[in-house]
Amino acid sequence: MNKKWLLIATLLLLIAALGACAPSATTAPPAAATSAPSGATSAPVGAATQPAAPSSAPAATRKILKMARNAEPFSPFIPWQIDDNPALFISVNVYDTLLRTTKDGVSVEAALATKWESSTDGLTWTFTLRDGVKFSDGTALKASDVKASLDMARGGEKSGWKDNYKAIKEIQAPDDKTVKIILSQPYAPLLSVLAMFSGGVLPADMAKASDAKDFNNDNAWKTKGTGAYFVEGWKKGDPIILKRNPNYWKGTPQLDEVRIEYVPDDNTRMLKLQGGEVDLVDFVPFSQIAALGAQPGVKAQTFTIQQTAFIILNTEKPPLNDVKVRQALNYATDKEAIIKTVYFGQAKFMNSPIPQGTYWDKSLPGYPFDLDKAKKLMSESAGKDGFKMDMQVRSGNTNFANTAVILKDAWAKIGVTVDIQTLETSVVRSNYRAGQFMSTPSAWTNDMNDPTQIVNYAMRGGASPFAYWTRYNDPAVNDKITKADLEQDPKKREALYAELQKTYLDAAPLVFIAYLGATAGWRDYVQGFLIDGLSYYRFEDVKNNK
Amino acid sequence: MNRFAYIRKRLILMVFVLFGVTIIIFGMVRIIPGDPAFLILGDRATDQNAAALREQLGLNKPLYEQYWMFVSGFARGSMGDSLLYRQPVADLVGKRVPISISLAFYAMTLAAFITLTFGIWSAVQQGRVADHLIRLSFLFILTTPNFWFGILLILLLALGLRWFPVAGFGETLQEHIWYLFLPALTLGLQLSAVLIRNLRSQIILTMRADYVRTARAKGLSERWVLSRHVLRNALMSTITIFGLQFGNLIGGTLVIETVFAIPGMGQLLFQSITARDYPVVQAITVITAFLVIVVNLFVDLSYSFLDPRVTYE
Repeated sequence: MNKKWLLIATLLLLIAALGACAPSATTAPPAAATSAPSGATSAPVGAATQPAAPSSAPAATRKILKMARNAEPFSPFIPWQIDDNPALFISVNVYDTLLRTTKDGVSVEAALATKWESSTDGLTWTFTLRDGVKFSDGTALKASDVKASLDMARGGEKSGWKDNYKAIKEIQAPDDKTVKIILSQPYAPLLSVLAMFSGGVLPADMAKASDAKDFNNDNAWKTKGTGAYFVEGWKKGDPIILKRNPNYWKGTPQLDEVRIEYVPDDNTRMLKLQGGEVDLVDFVPFSQIAALGAQPGVKAQTFTIQQTAFIILNTEKPPLNDVKVRQALNYATDKEAIIKTVYFGQAKFMNSPIPQGTYWDKSLPGYPFDLDKAKKLMSESAGKDGFKMDMQVRSGNTNFANTAVILKDAWAKIGVTVDIQTLETSVVRSNYRAGQFMSTPSAWTNDMNDPTQIVNYAMRGGASPFAYWTRYNDPAVNDKITKADLEQDPKKREALYAELQKTYLDAAPLVFIAYLGATAGWRDYVQGFLIDGLSYYRFEDVKNNK
Repeated sequence: MNRFAYIRKRLILMVFVLFGVTIIIFGMVRIIPGDPAFLILGDRATDQNAAALREQLGLNKPLYEQYWMFVSGFARGSMGDSLLYRQPVADLVGKRVPISISLAFYAMTLAAFITLTFGIWSAVQQGRVADHLIRLSFLFILTTPNFWFGILLILLLALGLRWFPVAGFGETLQEHIWYLFLPALTLGLQLSAVLIRNLRSQIILTMRADYVRTARAKGLSERWVLSRHVLRNALMSTITIFGLQFGNLIGGTLVIETVFAIPGMGQLLFQSITARDYPVVQAITVITAFLVIVVNLFVDLSYSFLDPRVTYE
């Protein structure tokens, strides 16, 4: 009798275990039923009920690229509602903007608009749309779609990027091919702003619907753009599948499908590439670039992007309110040592406060490591008797943690005792917003090629974000920033930005460390992969020659 | 008290335990610093943006009201909306719970096989080379952190021998079983490392009992003695540990799911704690607590099947 019960209990346990597997199995496409390789038939949830658009290529020659990413999106794929990189990287592949940033990241080129001109007063800009552009569902792009999307980006309830479009007074669509943008004041960075991902164009009805309070994000993960790929739908936890847009205006992309899965662990992601389970990975740890690239059949590279790494100093906390102390900290920092040990040589000396984009002044000296100069400055400063300073480091960021350890050692030589506090990102954020910190390591990446974004964020004081939370506030600098935004003559703008870079460098609200790069690794049969100057990658020119 | 009355009593107790869990977890996620509004909106957010979002998410309501919404929602079967993803928590958690449970049961199944095989072998070979080797190997496994041990298994069995995939979850049921093998083995080996030591000593102890000598004296084969007379009695304490370890196992999946890129509950929990996504953290914690209680109830019930003398009071 007891034996029977034991048997039944064991069976029940097994059935429960198998039953628990079952729900996830039913959502899978009928891959096992077909004889095609499993990778070729993989599809997101929903594919089982809604068959994928038939591809022109036969199943055997379908080109699929498998990628492992370090993070999963959380923003919906609505360009102006995006606030995380994983969603942004999808957005640039499915939605186009009027103009786009060139691959080197320093200027803009034609995208949905082929021609643009401004009135002599610089207040009215007229854009002519490219002929024959269609959305992924086949409907033609109209000027009204551009107007609706940009109106949402600049004024939608849910837009996170409104500030960038402040200069725009009105957008008109006089006919299907023409978009008129009327400004309230001349605004030099306009073309760069229009090339930003946040101005991606959706069909007018979808753009408007997305702003409704009760808009279901499931609808946003089903994209309808003019980009090289489209997404049929996505559920968190599933791979994201980019499908080729047969109507793409630049010509049909080479890949039928890009399959992006989420592999958060750095080591596992690299092993998946080595094992050939994926063709491409992003965020290769700097320490592994060389070793990974040396593997047979694998390539790994650091791409130059507009990213900076630095230490934020709270210029309101004595003695950091003394410019000499801040300069001394800069001189006492051995950047090359940090670049070598923290970034494994995959970074460059930061000579200017802004990244290496448009109007970057490459002639600036930065703060080369000079301990004697640092000691001299300290002896003349408010901090001459030495002082104690907290450095709040976001937990989980090894690069920041290692930098902090090096700085603790380096700055002890000029009498500064660094108290490293490892805190959660959210805590560090709350603290620097409230001004409750003395120093914290941070990093910045440009979202547009024009320096207006970084300059307004990091140099303008008096209001949030208080010059990158340094609380540095120089009215003359604030005026110059406004002037640079209004100035129409590129030469004069360049001169203004050169002055701003110099003034900010001398004021040293930050400890300037390094220009960073973005890393990726791929199997050698993948061709044409590139991370552009703004750290985006587009799959339109990527080939899989496997 | 008969078995059913006992189950009834335990189920009533469970309601109180779960109630306690809701209070603890609700308090804990709010005591840790960090404002979800700024985590969602990012650095560029102004104080006004954040205030508007807090209003929209109901985070500015009094705590007792928020708690009431959480508990009453749960009682009605609604777990609220994720702060970060703005989706019903049920949608996010619903798909992941079965994955993590499958992984845990898979690991427990493997652990049971491994424990029985090596535990008995080690006991029978007491003091010989095999016994020492088994104990030494499992001591090594026991003292190794599981994320590192997982990577070790990937290097050996996936990259070296190419028997299993490196990481992922697969698409079909067969693929799930194949993909989950290495993570389940990682967890299973670590679990059995605890169990084997216990089972071995219990078997050795039981073999010295009078009734075992009697059984042998009756002329029963050693195999028969071991399986019919020794094992069942030796298993009692091992099963207790087995059940208690279920909670640890669910905790272990948190790390292992990240290493093996499995879209399970542990991975979501980790992300949600980092993002201060209160409703998701609350839902996963309550579900986990429920599972641990249920599994331990089953363990307690299994005693009476193993040993008819056991009664419940």
